Amino acid sequence: MAAGLVAGGLTVAQLTLLAWLVAALLVDGTPLSALVPGFLALAALLVLRALAQWGQDAAGLAASLRLRTRARAQLLDHLAELGPVGVAGHHTASLANRVVDQVEALDGYVARFLPQRQLAVAMPLLILAVVAWLDWLAALFLLLAAPLIPLFMALVGMGAERLNREQFDAVSRLSRHFIDRVRGLTTLQLFGHTRAATREVHAAADDYRRRSMRTLRLAFLSSAVLEFFAAVAIAMVAIYVGFGLLGYIGYGPADALTLFSGLLVLLLAPEFFQPLRSLAQHYHDRAAALGAAEGLVALLAERPRRPPDAREAMPQAPGGLVELVGAGVSHPERGRVLGPLDLTLARGEIVGVSGPSGAGKSTLLQLLAGFVGPSEGARRVAADHAFAWMDQRPVLIHGSLADNLRLAAPEADEDALRHALERAGLGELLAALPAGLETRLGERGVGLSGGQAQRLALARVFLSPAPLVLLDEPTASLDAASEARVLEGLAALAAEGRTLVIASHQAAPLALARRVLHLHEGREAGTVHG
Amino acid sequence: MAEPSRPGWRATLGPWLRLLGRRRRRLLAGAGLMALALASALGLLALSGWFITATGLAGIALAAGAALTLDVYVPGGGIRAFALTRTVARYLERLYNHDTVLRLLADLRAGMFAVLADLDAARLARRRASDWLNRLTADIDTLDSLFLRLLAPAAVALAAILALAGFLALWSPAVGGTVAAVLGLAWLWLTLGQARLGLAASRRRVDALERLRGRVIEQLQGLAELEAYGSLAAHRQRLEAVEARLAADHRRLGLAAALGNALAGLATGATWLAALWLAARAWQGGELAGPVMVMMPLAVLALNEALTALPSAFTQAGATQAAAERLNALRAARRPPSSPVTASLPEGPLAVSLERVGLRYPGALTPALDGFDLALAPGERLALYGASGAGKSSVAALLTRQLVPSAGRMRLAGRPLAAIAEADLRRRTACLTQLTELFDDSLAANLRLADPSAEEARLWEVLAVVELAEWADRLPRGLATRVGEGGRRLSGGQARRLSLARLLLRDPGLVILDEPFAGLDRALAERLAGRLDAWLRGRSVLYLVHAPGTADGLLPGVTRRLALDTAAQHALCARTRNLGG
Repeated sequence: MAAGLVAGGLTVAQLTLLAWLVAALLVDGTPLSALVPGFLALAALLVLRALAQWGQDAAGLAASLRLRTRARAQLLDHLAELGPVGVAGHHTASLANRVVDQVEALDGYVARFLPQRQLAVAMPLLILAVVAWLDWLAALFLLLAAPLIPLFMALVGMGAERLNREQFDAVSRLSRHFIDRVRGLTTLQLFGHTRAATREVHAAADDYRRRSMRTLRLAFLSSAVLEFFAAVAIAMVAIYVGFGLLGYIGYGPADALTLFSGLLVLLLAPEFFQPLRSLAQHYHDRAAALGAAEGLVALLAERPRRPPDAREAMPQAPGGLVELVGAGVSHPERGRVLGPLDLTLARGEIVGVSGPSGAGKSTLLQLLAGFVGPSEGARRVAADHAFAWMDQRPVLIHGSLADNLRLAAPEADEDALRHALERAGLGELLAALPAGLETRLGERGVGLSGGQAQRLALARVFLSPAPLVLLDEPTASLDAASEARVLEGLAALAAEGRTLVIASHQAAPLALARRVLHLHEGREAGTVHG
Repeated sequence: MAEPSRPGWRATLGPWLRLLGRRRRRLLAGAGLMALALASALGLLALSGWFITATGLAGIALAAGAALTLDVYVPGGGIRAFALTRTVARYLERLYNHDTVLRLLADLRAGMFAVLADLDAARLARRRASDWLNRLTADIDTLDSLFLRLLAPAAVALAAILALAGFLALWSPAVGGTVAAVLGLAWLWLTLGQARLGLAASRRRVDALERLRGRVIEQLQGLAELEAYGSLAAHRQRLEAVEARLAADHRRLGLAAALGNALAGLATGATWLAALWLAARAWQGGELAGPVMVMMPLAVLALNEALTALPSAFTQAGATQAAAERLNALRAARRPPSSPVTASLPEGPLAVSLERVGLRYPGALTPALDGFDLALAPGERLALYGASGAGKSSVAALLTRQLVPSAGRMRLAGRPLAAIAEADLRRRTACLTQLTELFDDSLAANLRLADPSAEEARLWEVLAVVELAEWADRLPRGLATRVGEGGRRLSGGQARRLSLARLLLRDPGLVILDEPFAGLDRALAERLAGRLDAWLRGRSVLYLVHAPGTADGLLPGVTRRLALDTAAQHALCARTRNLGG
């Protein structure tokens, strides 16, 4: 901003010097050789102005980088606070788009629009003062044109903002539509549906074009208005000054015009509008940033569906790890999905959870984990409530096999990793890998079959020292041999004194349990003690 | 960093330039509008300067008592005309060019999707989901800068520099030559020089954004496990490291662009200063009139507008190049056109025969299938057993032509599989994949994937078969209920049943069922199996299941069982879950 003002001031000085040189040459008849110092001063001003301009850009850049880093950190903090259940309500690609791209969209606003907005007020005032001193009537032309501009821009801007929001929705819908279709490409191929899907993608993109054009028509209109005023003002000043110099204008200050003042007024007229024009060029940076910011703020405004401190009280039963007392979970759209339920988990216990799909098995595990708070009743947990988790979609991070295992135990040494893999039934796989633990894995389990990915997640459970282990369908996609090995491992976990909660359809994992809680439509429909 | 194998700009951008060439007239019109707007701006300032000086000098002469006439109306009219054209041309130019580019983008998006749809299963599997998202949106969006931000402004700026230099040379060759030399050099730096300066960092930027996006998706999808293991902070650190690299590159690019901006200002400044000096000399020598002397630096001053947009655009040129390279690679990977189609498929159950079929995934340790034989008589129901990774899903992918075998012969109803018309193959075969794939659309739309013309009553019928009709009927929006990303709003069992119902809308001669009742409780699975039996009558059926013992009674009408050799059981190969069996 300061650098921008300096650059603006230097521009005015440059133009003054230019007009003065011209007048000295043409009117005063000063020989060129006598004007060398003036030319040198002008050259110096040019260099200084370039430096100031560079400083302005650099300052905007630094501010923008700072802001984006902070905004992203805040978003990620908030998403972590919302937790797995809170996040599940959103499309992952849309959230990633928010955290990555929409935060990037703040760049133009901070780096260019904000500094320019301050300049757009300060610079015209400075120029107006200079012009008024030269010729007050010319200054009046500028002054009359100026207030119309922000007014008109505000009118146009209001519409553009709304449209821009819509466009952001369109972009996110487009990416959602696309990733969804790509993920299901196999199915589209199998059903011979790829042509129709391609047409759908085209239609979605074309819809995006139409929306964009609606936004742009307005966004460009605002800058066209400015262009118009700038151009007309220059034309009016030029004609006024010309006629004044000829002595055709017999009133006002026109008589006093000289070639110097006339030329300077003409040169300053475009500069008067320049900051506003730059601002208009960056106007859709602003609109883009506001559209993005709105999405970000809406996300930040979402409250987690769990109490900030889940540790309400210690379990009352001696040796209890987690206790549910009349606890239930209600969903804003689906109503009550679980409970009311009483459950006490003792240390070293294996509890099975059975029930038809949709009966609330997963919700019960989420409640035990604290991913979702009880909407009624209470959940009490022991002080050392660390837990291990495994569900039907284990996360596989982009990195080595070892990186993936160390998610659960950052300090674990290689032997521990190998041991855990063996216990999860992945020993043979590891032996077959030339790169061993350093083998690279990727998102969505590239390189691993479904069963292998699930066993990797199990290996993480084995590595984790957590006293409570929550397992959602731990053997869903394993063959009988692997399943037997995994169940052996689970029994070994229990023998270590860990508490296991296993939600499953299948008989074999449930057979491990000392008691099996049968759920039906969120309620306990019976408990079988083994 | 030197990348010796990187293709040159021409090879990389060639296909895209040819694509642009298809809309040559639109593009030329757009560039013409751009040039018109610039010429008007230039004319406005230059003519105004000339006019004021001329009137100023005339005023002085008049005051001195000289008798002279100055036509004020022609220049006055010219000034007004320039003012108007500048406004109108600029507005139309921006609107027109953006529309052109977005039209191009819509074609490109669909074109790239068609390319993806043409990839075979093995290649498809190697891409990560967020890669694709990035390819179709970010990369193609980046390519949009090719015309609007790079080609057109650079061409118009160069044309303006040369035209102005030529125009000024009419009065003073020295001024014209200086303008051409200084601004020509500046143009070279602002385009090629800036592109070079920002090349490495801007090439990395798209990758870095993609990596960041990948990390964020990982963190969100794995929130449960990360939170449970307390490794959220560690994962966050990895994410922040990616972000820090991104910021460093952004800073580098920003500073390079700032340098370009400063240089652009300096170059025009130096040029108008030089023009003023040279013009003043010529004026003193009596070669130039005063007003023309003033017009010269002013015209150069107005040219600034043409150069200011160049540095920031060209600093980012590497991103365009990298995006084009990635899209080129994807195009190059598409499936070669299949052999000439000669065969159609008969109605009724289809026979299957595989002889000595081999399949090896790229980069795999062991072949997924080696010398595999399979024969299925029309109407027969065969169960193929094997542990996970034994290659069951590979058999399904081969039979549905998702994969091409590396050896052996495959026949369907006696015809070579490769020679069967695509539409016929899709119509006469149906496959329930191991991974349930649903689309973020309504229940009805997901079902109609199988039969776009199916009437609503028919949809209710198949839903009733899988016992979802009652549930769907209770939903406030019924069949219009959206199922969410990948069917996430449904439970696993509901999603499985929906994909089964989808299959029932078809009338295939060969049905492949990969773990048809995975995730369903036993009682429900048995009821469904019973109903499925009726639908399977008169069709050849291939069941793919884990183990012979567990699924008895869930494979209606199975007449033969075949265990798949488990030699390749634990091969770690480039397969995603939908392929890994």
